[in-house]
Amino acid sequence: MNNPRNDKYRHQILRIIVYLVFGFFALTAGYLQLIEGNSYFDKAENNYIRYIITYPPRGEVFDRNGEYLIQNKVVYDLMVIPREAPRKGIDTVRLASITNEPMKRLKRSLNEARRSWRTASPVVKYLSAESKLKMDEWNLPGFYTVPRTVRQYPRKIGGNLLGSLAEVKQDFLAKYNEDGYYSIRDYIGEQGIESAYEKELRGEKGRIRRNRYADHSTDEVEKEPVAGKNLISSIDARLQAFAEELMKGKIGSVVAIEPATGEILVMASSPTFDPNELVISRERGNNYMRLLNEPRRPLFNRAVTSPQPPGSTFKLLNGLIGLQEGVLKPHYKYSCNKGYRAGNIKMGCHEHRSPLDLDFAIATSCNAYFCNVYRNILENKKYESPKQGYEAWRNYVEQFGFGVKLGTDIPGERRGTLMHREYYDKLYHRSWNALTVLSVSIGQGEILATTLQLANFAAIIANRGHYYTPHIIKQIEGQDSIDIKYRTPHYTSIDRKHFETIIKGMWRGVNRDGTCQLAKLPGLDVCGKTGTAQNPLGDDHSTFISFAPRNNPKIAIAVYVEHGVWGATAAVPIASLIEEMYLTDTITRPWLIEHVKNLNLDYSIYDRHRKKK
Amino acid sequence: MTGIGRRNSNNMALFSGVDWWTVLLYIALTLIGFVAVFSASYVEDSENFWSFSHEYVKHIFWLGISYTAGLVILLLDRSVWHKWAYIICAITLFIVLLTFTPLGKTVNGARAWLGLGGFTLQPMELAKVGISLAVARVMSVYGFSVQRANDLVKVMAIMAVPMGIAVLQNDTGSGLVFCSFLFMLFREGLNYWICIPLIFLVALLILSFLLTPGVLLIALILIFTFCAAMLMKGCWKACINYIVSLFLFSTLLFVILVVAMGRDLSYYDCLLFTTAVSLLVVAVYAYRANIRSIYLLILFFFVSIICLPTSDMVFRHLKPHQQNRIRTFLGQVDDKDLLYNVNQSKIAIGSGGFSGKGFLQGSQIRYGLVPEKHTDFIFCTIGEEFGFLGALVLFSCFAMLILRLMRMGDRQLETFGRVYCYCVASILFFHCCINIGMTMGIVPVMGIPLPFISYGGSSLLGFSILVFIAIALDASPTKHQSTLRKW
Repeated sequence: MNNPRNDKYRHQILRIIVYLVFGFFALTAGYLQLIEGNSYFDKAENNYIRYIITYPPRGEVFDRNGEYLIQNKVVYDLMVIPREAPRKGIDTVRLASITNEPMKRLKRSLNEARRSWRTASPVVKYLSAESKLKMDEWNLPGFYTVPRTVRQYPRKIGGNLLGSLAEVKQDFLAKYNEDGYYSIRDYIGEQGIESAYEKELRGEKGRIRRNRYADHSTDEVEKEPVAGKNLISSIDARLQAFAEELMKGKIGSVVAIEPATGEILVMASSPTFDPNELVISRERGNNYMRLLNEPRRPLFNRAVTSPQPPGSTFKLLNGLIGLQEGVLKPHYKYSCNKGYRAGNIKMGCHEHRSPLDLDFAIATSCNAYFCNVYRNILENKKYESPKQGYEAWRNYVEQFGFGVKLGTDIPGERRGTLMHREYYDKLYHRSWNALTVLSVSIGQGEILATTLQLANFAAIIANRGHYYTPHIIKQIEGQDSIDIKYRTPHYTSIDRKHFETIIKGMWRGVNRDGTCQLAKLPGLDVCGKTGTAQNPLGDDHSTFISFAPRNNPKIAIAVYVEHGVWGATAAVPIASLIEEMYLTDTITRPWLIEHVKNLNLDYSIYDRHRKKK
Repeated sequence: MTGIGRRNSNNMALFSGVDWWTVLLYIALTLIGFVAVFSASYVEDSENFWSFSHEYVKHIFWLGISYTAGLVILLLDRSVWHKWAYIICAITLFIVLLTFTPLGKTVNGARAWLGLGGFTLQPMELAKVGISLAVARVMSVYGFSVQRANDLVKVMAIMAVPMGIAVLQNDTGSGLVFCSFLFMLFREGLNYWICIPLIFLVALLILSFLLTPGVLLIALILIFTFCAAMLMKGCWKACINYIVSLFLFSTLLFVILVVAMGRDLSYYDCLLFTTAVSLLVVAVYAYRANIRSIYLLILFFFVSIICLPTSDMVFRHLKPHQQNRIRTFLGQVDDKDLLYNVNQSKIAIGSGGFSGKGFLQGSQIRYGLVPEKHTDFIFCTIGEEFGFLGALVLFSCFAMLILRLMRMGDRQLETFGRVYCYCVASILFFHCCINIGMTMGIVPVMGIPLPFISYGGSSLLGFSILVFIAIALDASPTKHQSTLRKW
């Protein structure tokens, strides 16, 4: 100890300390560089790499004649990355004047952007091209513009059919973003075609890898954006506009289908709105809330979302089923003395000559006749009880697309109402018969159908027994054909000849001595059937299904006007005018248009509803 | 003197006895340093590559000066250092004091710089040479022993001067460097009983920030009881009895005072009180049983118990930025700038991976994300661009140099040379520990450079002189004559 020079022990200890310390450093470096190396590498990349999302143009939508239904328009979002912006002294006055943004809102959004220091946040949205150019000229560090395509609708039609674009919100991301495609503030289709064909229309976002310390020439395109596909709709824009004009002031919907293909020519729901109101802009939110709160619900596409009693139009189906089941022959005659009576049941009818055969019963829409037919279907000797007869009947009805979803491409489709046997069993404790459910024979009671289902029904009759699932998009860019499900015919199990029988009655109703002679168009052989559906809330609903011409039909149409009084009052002229327009391109009865436009219908029920709220 | 005579008589002797390994390691480190400084300060599209505004160009200049200084030192008479030790120390300290005159400059809040024309000088780097020489001279006096308090105080006094100046300069980091002389003092025979408690107290100080006093107290009780049991050669039963009774009594006290009498005391207070009282009992017991060795332990325990509440007090007297640095290191506050610096530094090193991103390819360095990238955080450059391999090479160079210096010290016959070599080794070791440790986030951030690597003329020159004097002393003929005399 006294002679440090000879104290080997001590300098060994010090030597070991040196080894240990440098060994520990080597271990720490190894931990940082070898074990955690990859995560630190990513962190280092995040420090200087900025990913720029490039948005593809969204697909545009054309009508069947090549006219724009939905067109693109470019706007710009001004973004800021606060970390890269000058810390002090952004010339807010100049910024406000370039962007036309009120100073207060600009300052607020700048402050909000500062909360996420490293990520880009929008300062001003929906800048015009002119403002964008001015910003580019200024070249303020940390600020840049991102082009976004928004929509415009040149025809201003089909607000609730075409849908609109909306910005993706946080709660949407949490719930629905399964494929991880969307990030906040992306645009996404809402309702209508925009929503149904979102995947085709949106395309694929691209990504650019940018070194934020180098100039933009070193940008690496990681992924090119893929443009959205253009769509060709089966809608006839001119016809749609005409239908919407006719439906103005009424509540209801019009659906027209090309029977040979199932393409929807017109789908007008009233009331509607100008889709340009919901184009992404600073006013969209307010407009949307206003439309949402309107008591007549213009955002609703009633053609698919609002099932209503089909009324007398349903008699055609009962006639078809009766013929197929053999319990009805065209020459069968039943008498009608202002209605039908059996036991306690009484079903009123209007005045006409009696007894009458099927042909005339269709044309004049006799309730008693179809009560008899319906009773015969259910009480068929083939079946043990009317309950089994009901099941057989229900089976036919379902084949016509009632009570089921048709599977069309328009979102929000409802299936309507068609009761199962079990429902009645439960309701009436198993003691019920044909008379109990008799109202269904004339399309009232436990039967509800959407206008689309009615139009499809008209198309089935026009096709004499089959239909194609109605659809609104007939072609997608880059695809040879649309989905197979829109190209497969669905057959009903009713023979063709029975359709001819029924069509004869429908033709007579329009062209000789029926309820819908207003629909007669010279030389076009229009066939049709009116319906007047009673309802407890106000005037009867007016409905009409029709197709034309009788042979080789070009158009099948269903019109439903709520509280339109008689079938012939509102629905028939509207349908007739649309058919004429579509088939001949001309209007020969301007007075009829005037008549339709001047119809004074009572919708106090909707306004009462509003007061209650 | 004899040296000159020898040299004249033997033309081989110009560099005779020079430890070429050390010189080689020195040159290797300075070259690594140049590569790192170049990479950290290279500007891609600079108009003039050789412009003197670039750090790497200045670094070349300083490298030249340092090599020349090294050469001159080797050529000088090798006894000069012993003779002029005090004078050199006085001169360097005088230069350090010049920083308080108008010549001084303040950089980063530390008034530790001298502005000389276009150059700035950090005289404390040179003072290291002076202090090392002075310490070596003091300790080489005949009859000096570090185990004697009087002699130890002399050394401490010399160390205290630059430390005091450094604190006044607001540059505590440079002052702390002299604490590293503990390393040398240990080699010279410093009593274990001074070393171990010192280290223990430092550990306690750090732990007292990390742990709650209660946990710390319980840990202390367990550690000391364990030590006592070891010292008393296996009185485990007595120790377990001691611990159990300690907790029983404190619980009893707690129940009586708090539950019954409703005093506002915590269990920690009761335990502290009981432990303090129990120490008296243990002391009396030890006296009776004549177990001397346990006394020191009791004293130790007592001091550390007192230390528990006082460490906080000491801490509060530190300057805010020092508090911040320590707290950040202990992960307590998030001073964003400090955390950011250390974080970026760790990202730089970690992202280098096994073989690094390549020369001039490090993004953290290139884009200025690492602060002080060419001075204090220079290790990031090596870690990022040359990866784990580069770091290992650097570590081994440093370790070899330090071990070499220690070995040179060990083979000196004269105390002066041995102490000096160990002083140099201590200083280098301390700088490496703090600087590399801080860039990897395992030591608090202190603004001291990495020897030979960091950009900075004064530090490069200072370290070069330090090392070359050690080489010169090692090569001095006294060693050879002595070895010859053995025969």
